[in-house]
Amino acid sequence: MRRIIINTLKRAGFNDVIEASDGKDALAKMKVEQVNFVITDWNMPEMDGLTFVTTVRGMDEFKNLPILMVTTRSVKDDILEAMKAGVNNYIVKPFTPETLKAKIDQVLGG
Amino acid sequence: MSGKENMQTRLQREIGELSSSINSLIDSFRKLKAPLVESHQKVPQATSQLDKISEQTEAAAHRMLDMIEKITQREEEVIRGLGEVRALVGGQQDQHVVSLVTTIEEKANTNLNDTYTIMDALQFQDITSQQMNHAAALLEEIETKLQHILSVVGADTAPDVNRPSIKKTRAYDPHADLSDKRTQQADIDSLFSHEKAK
Repeated sequence: MRRIIINTLKRAGFNDVIEASDGKDALAKMKVEQVNFVITDWNMPEMDGLTFVTTVRGMDEFKNLPILMVTTRSVKDDILEAMKAGVNNYIVKPFTPETLKAKIDQVLGG
Repeated sequence: MSGKENMQTRLQREIGELSSSINSLIDSFRKLKAPLVESHQKVPQATSQLDKISEQTEAAAHRMLDMIEKITQREEEVIRGLGEVRALVGGQQDQHVVSLVTTIEEKANTNLNDTYTIMDALQFQDITSQQMNHAAALLEEIETKLQHILSVVGADTAPDVNRPSIKKTRAYDPHADLSDKRTQQADIDSLFSHEKAK
């Protein structure tokens, strides 16, 4: 799934993409790399997306970092939980490239 | 017959019936043991089979992505090359060459868009992998319950030495499915707008 998202991002002109295997890996990379926005799944090994978003939002430097969640979870309670954790937008899989681009524009546009 | 004797006879009969029920129950447990042990041994095989399917499907999806990325790159190069040809022949009046370049460009763009469609369709692998992980997790749950039942009926099985001692970490959505999510996405967007407006 990561490769599909990366390819879609590149098609949309985002060539500088940092890939992480899960929340824990992403946090480690965010400490050493400049990150302008994040796309995360929910279901990941080691650290899931919800824990990752909550952790990121608890860090001063990432309080306003745009975060987009891309997941199969589409139950209303899950979506509300993700919003509460601090995601800026939410895409349910399978998605279309158009949806991904539109959501990125929304997230980056505020 | 006195009341005391009557009571004694009834008690003996009750005890006899109880004993017969217990014997029948023990017999049933004995009969259950073999299929329970067999099921307990087969469940891990099913789990492992699901994991193998998941791994092989993932590997196949990656191989397809490798090829798609190469085709995409080649088509992009073709389109760039055709752009250069168009620039070279642009000043000329050879309509046949210009028309040929346009036709090849259109076909190359169609191929490129088709590769994007195939790539997007490969999202199925992520979803089916979650579905298989869910099924495998359910099988692991059944295996644990069967183990409890077997220990209760005194038929503990020896652990399989070929199995990894640490269980696989499974990250999945139990409701993951492949259906078209456009309507659902619209509902989510509306929920997001509604919650943000609060």
